[in-house]
Amino acid sequence: MATVPQMLPLELIDKCIGSRLWVIMKSEKEFTGTLVGFDDFVNMVLEDVTEFTKTPTGFTTTKLSQILLNGNNIVMVAEYVQRVK
Amino acid sequence: MSSTDVVSAAAAPAAAPRKSPAEFVTTTIGSHVVVKLHSGIEYHGRLTCLDGYMNIVLEDTHEVADGRVTNKYGDAFVRGNNVLYIAKSSP
Repeated sequence: MATVPQMLPLELIDKCIGSRLWVIMKSEKEFTGTLVGFDDFVNMVLEDVTEFTKTPTGFTTTKLSQILLNGNNIVMVAEYVQRVK
Repeated sequence: MSSTDVVSAAAAPAAAPRKSPAEFVTTTIGSHVVVKLHSGIEYHGRLTCLDGYMNIVLEDTHEVADGRVTNKYGDAFVRGNNVLYIAKSSP
């Protein structure tokens, strides 16, 4: 029986340090930014962040510099792939 | 066949800085921050201190709701359970 190499979730996030990520919250909010680092609670430090708040039209606020995002309400973290038409 | 090209972000992982949030705290203390709560209200002020629960103490704070300044406080304590994020900003 072949052994499957184990990759833990935090290990996967660790590999994403330096990449642009897409963070989805429990509320109608999303963030995209470059991952600087995180901790065991998945509080995340992001750079060059854009905050997306869902409204009927799709409203965005752009932040520069760094933010410390509270991990309590983070639902999902994905790699942010930019679509170019 | 979609006409959209998909450009993926280049991954450049650095050495695992598991203490990144702690570093963020030490480097932001004393500077201007925007603290946004789950309710959407923002507090702009100078970060005095912060603990592991994200309880925050701010100086020269003003409260912004719906883009309008609603209140000004000298010193403010924000309970950590309400905090969505802390962003570095300029005065």
